[in-house]
Amino acid sequence: MSANTITLAPALPLWLIAVLFCLGLVLVFVQYNAIRSKISREKALIVSLLRLGTIFLLVAFALNPSLTTRKTQRIPPSVAVILDTSESMGQPGGGRSARLDEARTLLTAGERPLLEALREKFEVNLFSLADSLKPLGDKELAGLKAHGGKGDIAGALETLGGKNDAAILLSDGNLRESLLLDRRLPTITVPLGSPATYRDLLIKSVKAPSLAFKGREIVIDFIIKNYGYTGLTLPVLLEDQDKQLAKKIIQLRDSPGEVGVTLSFVPDKAGRQNVSISVPGQEGESILANNRIDLSIQVLRDKIRVLMVSGSPSMNYRLIRAALLSDPSIDLLSFVFLRTPSDILNVPKREQSLIPFPVETLFTKELTGFDLLVFDNFNYSLYLRPDYLEHVRDFIKEGGGFAMVGGPFVYHEGRLGLSPIGDILPFRFVEKEFYRRSSPVRVRMTREGAGHPLLRIFDDFQQHGEKEPDFWKDLAPLDGINLTEAKRPATVLLESAEGLPWPILTISEYGKGRILFLTTDYAWKWYMGLVAGGKGNQPFFRLVHRMIRWLGKDPNLETLQIILPETANLPGREIDVKIRTVGEAAFKPSGPAVAFSVFDPGGGRIESKLKSTDQPGENVLSFTPPRKGVYRIKAETTSGQREETVIVSGVFADLDAAPDHERLKKIARSTGGRFVTGGVDLSGEIEARLREKEKQFVEETLLPIWATPVVMVLVLSLLSTEWYFRRRWGLV
Amino acid sequence: MALGLIGPAVFFGPRISSGAPFPQFFFAQLKYRGGEWDPNPFFPEAIIEELELRTSVNAFKERRIITPSGPELFFCPFVYMAGRYEFDPFTAQEREILRRFLSYGGFLLAEDTVGAKGFGFDHAFRRELREIFPNESLSKLPLDHSVYQSFYLIKTHGGRQKINSYLEGISVGKWTPVIYCQNDLAGAWSRDRYGKWVHECVPGGDLQRKAAFKMGINIIVYALTADYKKDLVHHPFIKGRKN
Repeated sequence: MSANTITLAPALPLWLIAVLFCLGLVLVFVQYNAIRSKISREKALIVSLLRLGTIFLLVAFALNPSLTTRKTQRIPPSVAVILDTSESMGQPGGGRSARLDEARTLLTAGERPLLEALREKFEVNLFSLADSLKPLGDKELAGLKAHGGKGDIAGALETLGGKNDAAILLSDGNLRESLLLDRRLPTITVPLGSPATYRDLLIKSVKAPSLAFKGREIVIDFIIKNYGYTGLTLPVLLEDQDKQLAKKIIQLRDSPGEVGVTLSFVPDKAGRQNVSISVPGQEGESILANNRIDLSIQVLRDKIRVLMVSGSPSMNYRLIRAALLSDPSIDLLSFVFLRTPSDILNVPKREQSLIPFPVETLFTKELTGFDLLVFDNFNYSLYLRPDYLEHVRDFIKEGGGFAMVGGPFVYHEGRLGLSPIGDILPFRFVEKEFYRRSSPVRVRMTREGAGHPLLRIFDDFQQHGEKEPDFWKDLAPLDGINLTEAKRPATVLLESAEGLPWPILTISEYGKGRILFLTTDYAWKWYMGLVAGGKGNQPFFRLVHRMIRWLGKDPNLETLQIILPETANLPGREIDVKIRTVGEAAFKPSGPAVAFSVFDPGGGRIESKLKSTDQPGENVLSFTPPRKGVYRIKAETTSGQREETVIVSGVFADLDAAPDHERLKKIARSTGGRFVTGGVDLSGEIEARLREKEKQFVEETLLPIWATPVVMVLVLSLLSTEWYFRRRWGLV
Repeated sequence: MALGLIGPAVFFGPRISSGAPFPQFFFAQLKYRGGEWDPNPFFPEAIIEELELRTSVNAFKERRIITPSGPELFFCPFVYMAGRYEFDPFTAQEREILRRFLSYGGFLLAEDTVGAKGFGFDHAFRRELREIFPNESLSKLPLDHSVYQSFYLIKTHGGRQKINSYLEGISVGKWTPVIYCQNDLAGAWSRDRYGKWVHECVPGGDLQRKAAFKMGINIIVYALTADYKKDLVHHPFIKGRKN
């Protein structure tokens, strides 16, 4: 509807314009009479009319007439169409096609597509909702795939609330739980999928510890959720690789229904343990991937069980024992040879406290029950048969720790390893003089020892080991050391500071185990020297504890650490793993040289790349797993190598895709909308709801009629023509 | 279970050079001001011989003389202190050093060679211990204390004299860094350069001397192993032999 009116907006007061107009008429009349006597009547009339025209024009200009046009405009209500695109929408709907496809068909296909019908009456804004709410173009709609987590409908309605008048939500109801919904936006919910025909078994709400202790029961609680199966009896399995750890039979009674299950096992070794829980797939199941959950549990030693055998009573034994006993995480069993076979006893057995050394039991049956074996100034060749030593070698090879503390009783194997453990020791004795007890020996850190986690005994020893050298240099000198040379690839961490650099602390690895040799029976002087210097006994205790923890493979004492991401890993998504180098290598200007590989579940190497970060010694290893499974990461530097495993879950591993139409009803109810099922004219429904919300406004256009340069040109033309005639006719 | 104490009796192997300033075990005798600090100058030789004969302890016969404030105190595995008479009080610095030494791993065997309770050395020593350990006091060591079972299972107390049928001590946690005896063990161990005993043991004679040697070895082994014999693995054996 429109209307036009002319309005005047005078530039001067109307009375003044009238006075000026009258004066103009009088002036023209006077002028006519004056020139009538000089020229003919027709000519005088022409000149006067020209002047009169000019006056009319000037008066009209002063009155400033305008043309006002009024037009009434209608504003269509704004409707947000929210399309759920989360993973569950990829599952079959009521028919064979996916729920997302059904939604797409409803929006764009048919005799009268919903989008088209809505756009005729409303302003339509299309959005997709999964991990986040995103605006959606019509072109994107065709290629849209079900992907991402459950959508936050409460957040979406809050975002859209002020800008839209109503919303249409097309979803299967798998949305994030929300208590408060924005009531400004009435939402019409359109359900997809069919709860009645949906069939699935899934494992959910898994409660398992990420950390556990060797030898202690690990309890895993979870729920088996059932849609569409009743009266079934099923086994639920807990497995490690292909080995069954636990099994439970469950019965499915109700649908939908839940059965709580608890499975447990006792880990028999430390390290990362990858286990899985599974329930067999059933005929007609929508998703099989969620019948299995993979878990990764870091198994630690609750107590490090140490077997210590000492060759004789000594200060070294007493103070190392005190250090071991001061750590509640160490479980110590120690034996001291109070006498040697050459010592003579002068009393009957009943007056002795000596006990037989249970050598056979310890070194055949019980050895594997320990984590660490310590020989302290012990001539094992006197007491251990070769087959016992073979057990020791196997114990180390399978992951046990072995420490030797030096002294004059340590068995000298010569240059060639004579016993089964000779070859695996990280050192060999020098030929002629294997133990020196003469001039005191001070120690210093080697290049490899600087910053090695084992020697970082103070928390405030930070970058570049600024204080460590002074600490080691200031330790009391040792009065006796074994003279050895390190075998390759053993690492010497401490060496004598004066003269020839004899190894004092040497470490190495054998098989899965570790070996350490402290070449002195005078470490107790370090202890007492620290006490004498007022530094207390803690630095010594910490050194012993760190030796034990390093031998026990405490992850915090690794020179090379692999830090796995805390978030869930999915196929096709890049995984970032931190690789951290601790110690001297971390501070090299060029950074640590890290060799790395990532292997897929089949053992094949996959593409990965390494980027350095701004942290010294830290790199990020990135790779994209193509499929689910256990991926093995191997990293290696000059200071060691590490392996870790990353579990990549299946895309639908934890997906509960059962249509939840009750939630859609609740959303509609909470927002003042409506839950509509098939057959309802959505466009009509929306129109009925938004009729009252339709808005309109009047658009007014003002067009000035005389306020144009044409009027001025016309005035000037009339005046010029009048002047021309006056001159021609001799009036000027 | 096989007995572990088997194998060759003599160690064969390359050379061991020795001569360190601080051997693994030796007696360090505390010299103090006043009184008589060295009533048994010949005591170490016989007990060290016995120690080496009976045990695997690697010991040296030479006795070292130290002072409470000397730097070497902390590097002595076994500090011995004896006397007959009252001695001058330690200085505050000496007491502080002894407190630190004994609280953090040091060991002291003290002997009143006269055995006069409340007088002379006994009086002075108890006075000093009260200063060094104001919250502790000497107490009789119980019969199941590790010192009575560290090597021998001891039931009788020896010494040159028989004043007490117990040892006294000050304990810090499970560790007893100070053991005090009034039976003059060192007097019973003392032998002159011709191999004769310096003192008679009264009233028990040689049996009493033998018991003093056993006690000496037990105290030394205790100083080097602490309460090792309290470990569970020893219980059934020790219990069976005591019964």
